[in-house]
Amino acid sequence: MPLVNNKVGDECTVGTDKALADGKALVGSLIKVVACYRHLASCVGGCTDSLQLRDELRQTREKAQMLAVSICSHLTSHLRNKCLLEGQRKEMELLWVAFSSSLELLHVDMCKVFHVAEIFSLANTDTLVQTGLQGGGSEVAARALSLPDLNRAQSPTLPAGLESQERSTMEQEISRIYHMIDDMEMKVNVMRWMVEPHGPQYADPLSSTDSASLALVSVDEEQPGHQPLCQRSQIFVLLLMFAVVLVAATLSVCIVFFS
Amino acid sequence: MTIRNTLHDHGQRYRPRMACIKKAEKVLLEMQDPKTGVKSQPQRLVITTIPHAITGEDIITWLADRFQVDTQEARTFGSMLVALGYIYPLQDHKRLVIKPDVSLYRFQTPYFWPTQQWPVEDTDYAIYLAKRNIRKKGILEPHEQEHYNRLHKWMNHKWDFIVMQAKEQYRAAKERKKPDRVVFDCQERAYWVVHRPPPGTVSAMDYGLDRLTDPNADEAKTPDVYERIMIFTQQAIMRPRVKSSVSISALVKYCATYRSHDPFLSKCLPSNPWLTDDATYWTLNMPNVEIPTKMRVERWTFSFAELLSDPRGRDDFRLFLKKEFSGENLAFWEGCEDLKWGEAATMSEKAEHIYKTFLARGAPRWINIDGKTMEITVKGLKHPHRYVLDPAQTHIYMLMKKDSYGRYQKSPVFKDTVKKAICPEEHQFSDAQLGQNAKKRWPSLSPIILRQMEQEQKAKMAANVDITQLCRFTTPVPHLVVYSGLTDFPTANASPSLPFLAHTPACPSPISVALESTSASERRAEASGGEGEGDPAARAPVGGNVSKSRMALSLRRLLKRGCTPASMFASLSPKCHSATGTSSRIQPISPDQPSQAPPRRIGNFFQIKVDIPPECRIYPIESEDEVHESRAASRGGVGAKEIICPWESLTPQNGTG
Repeated sequence: MPLVNNKVGDECTVGTDKALADGKALVGSLIKVVACYRHLASCVGGCTDSLQLRDELRQTREKAQMLAVSICSHLTSHLRNKCLLEGQRKEMELLWVAFSSSLELLHVDMCKVFHVAEIFSLANTDTLVQTGLQGGGSEVAARALSLPDLNRAQSPTLPAGLESQERSTMEQEISRIYHMIDDMEMKVNVMRWMVEPHGPQYADPLSSTDSASLALVSVDEEQPGHQPLCQRSQIFVLLLMFAVVLVAATLSVCIVFFS
Repeated sequence: MTIRNTLHDHGQRYRPRMACIKKAEKVLLEMQDPKTGVKSQPQRLVITTIPHAITGEDIITWLADRFQVDTQEARTFGSMLVALGYIYPLQDHKRLVIKPDVSLYRFQTPYFWPTQQWPVEDTDYAIYLAKRNIRKKGILEPHEQEHYNRLHKWMNHKWDFIVMQAKEQYRAAKERKKPDRVVFDCQERAYWVVHRPPPGTVSAMDYGLDRLTDPNADEAKTPDVYERIMIFTQQAIMRPRVKSSVSISALVKYCATYRSHDPFLSKCLPSNPWLTDDATYWTLNMPNVEIPTKMRVERWTFSFAELLSDPRGRDDFRLFLKKEFSGENLAFWEGCEDLKWGEAATMSEKAEHIYKTFLARGAPRWINIDGKTMEITVKGLKHPHRYVLDPAQTHIYMLMKKDSYGRYQKSPVFKDTVKKAICPEEHQFSDAQLGQNAKKRWPSLSPIILRQMEQEQKAKMAANVDITQLCRFTTPVPHLVVYSGLTDFPTANASPSLPFLAHTPACPSPISVALESTSASERRAEASGGEGEGDPAARAPVGGNVSKSRMALSLRRLLKRGCTPASMFASLSPKCHSATGTSSRIQPISPDQPSQAPPRRIGNFFQIKVDIPPECRIYPIESEDEVHESRAASRGGVGAKEIICPWESLTPQNGTG
């Protein structure tokens, strides 16, 4: 900007660099929390639904909202800041888009959880859907809250009468998120078609060993009788072959020996 | 964008209500009951066992017991539950049906149930596909790959977010125990098979068009709502009421008449194409077929509307009217239909055209409607709209129905058609032949080509309008555009459709021509008069001196007033005085005309631009001029050479109102 002397400009850019890094970290953690929330939400109404799960959901939700509020103020203030370099503005806008998309996902998940909780009350466990899940979502919640381990002793002893209170709190939270989304759009004008992503089209495959086992299991499901790649069967076959080879060798030695 | 602009939002974006969803949810809840629900068993995989797997036959038996239906229906119901996504198959996950054997299924978690409120988002689909790709590169199927590429293009701005979210969800899933991870993967996969079906399969979630209003939103009880209810009930009260005996007997009569013509209730000759794949029935009943079938001809006798709505019937009727020289009624009616159902751009031109051809005083194909209707029509034509000719059209329609239709049914034209109509024999196809027919199916003509053919036909029809209805003098020069497309006139003389003109000399005596034309038009006018026609018609063929003086008088009056000959004869003929209903004189539209000295009041017989050869001009019997008639003649003054539509500019020379 021509009217700003260099000194001020440098300060601006330095400040915004740090702000960018901060923003990225915050948005990254929000995305993580939203992903964990989705996993937890998929358990609601199923056979693993319990007070603990609901509590974990609540905690995750609160964390997500906390993050959302801080990111909102952070990004809004920086995007309304006039002295932003072009490159930095683009980065900010990218963060903005990521933030708004996460908020939308969170909003939908919260609505779904609210709706499902209406149908499946924990008082009557007969109607919980037998989904085949066995474990709860504690590990996922721990990941979301960045705690090494959720303290089991803290399992809540909320009486069932407070369910309605929880429902109303949830309603308020949902509407708050909705208004946040609205406000965001009003305050900052980010043109989405101008935003260009950096990343690749395909997400890189993460650790391969784990993925193989997962593929294994799903292939199993397709053909329950057919187990071509099972490690156990491979070992079994190898052993068998080894035994056959051994027997053949013994026999040949015997023949040679006795002939 | 998540801004919801509820104030001015006219977009259709809500899914219609799917009532089956709520009902299916209830059934699902009942199935979960540990005592009375479906029995589950553990699913054994290599590494682990996962509980809560149910067999297809268990589901079907439970449904049959619960709803007291037979196995087949329970099976269909079960398939519906699978197709909607409440239960998913563990083997063969892409085929969403219930197999009545030991194949395994599992219940879908409520998070993934189909809901009315939240439509399935593309963002979620993109995240899911990205996650699948993380697991193993290149695992996406071709249609999924296509979807992925398309989403990458359309949601490009979000792509970083999508990839990050996919990674996070993947990592979060790794935190869970392996069997739970497997279950979650299966659930998600099943969800997307339902909502993004592979190509070639039908999705149960197809719902047609989006709706304007949200079926989940409660309708606010505003005053508007109550006002709407009030208007609706008021209109319901105001509807005319008919005694049930009358309405039921009308229905019974309709059923009895049309029973043998209904392809569901009786045989369709030669054979129903939908059943036997043989298109003979359709070729025999094409709109413009030469020889209609007997059934079709019989339908024409049921009502006049049937006759007119069938193109072949209308052709026949047109032929009959041509022979009776009253084709302009049908032509007018068709013109009105064209105006009503045609394009808005050409509407006012069409209206003008129709007025000039049929309604104006001295129009070439003047139709006979009563004065009041004519007044209403002409007034309406000042601001023409689609339905401006409705009263006139109704009048003509009733005219044709009450009079021409009856005579048509007794006419030789119709009798001839009936005799020639064919009655095809019924086909008797063997099974092998039916199979062959099915193989030989081919698509019919494209609608574009059909439309072009129709338009060509219409153009041809317009070009070949019956010139017998026109007097030679009324025939304007070719450069004037008239409905009848009279460019054909020079050839018309030689055409066989002008029998009587052919007999006359090249430049016939104007009086005789006028005589014949007026007699023709008089016959037209008298068509509705019933018995009145007998007398004046008797005069026409004679053309003798006896009536000549009367003719001359009437001709003079014609000249002076520019009235149509019909009304002239109406005033002359004694019988017609009684028949005032249909043949009353048309009131002059504009009472006051500026008087002009008409130096050549002769030349404008019908006030049209006419190139009348001088020797054929009508010589009025000027000696018998009456004062008032001379003044009246000024109305039909020199300047008014064209038929002026009443809504056009009123310059002093033109003078017609």
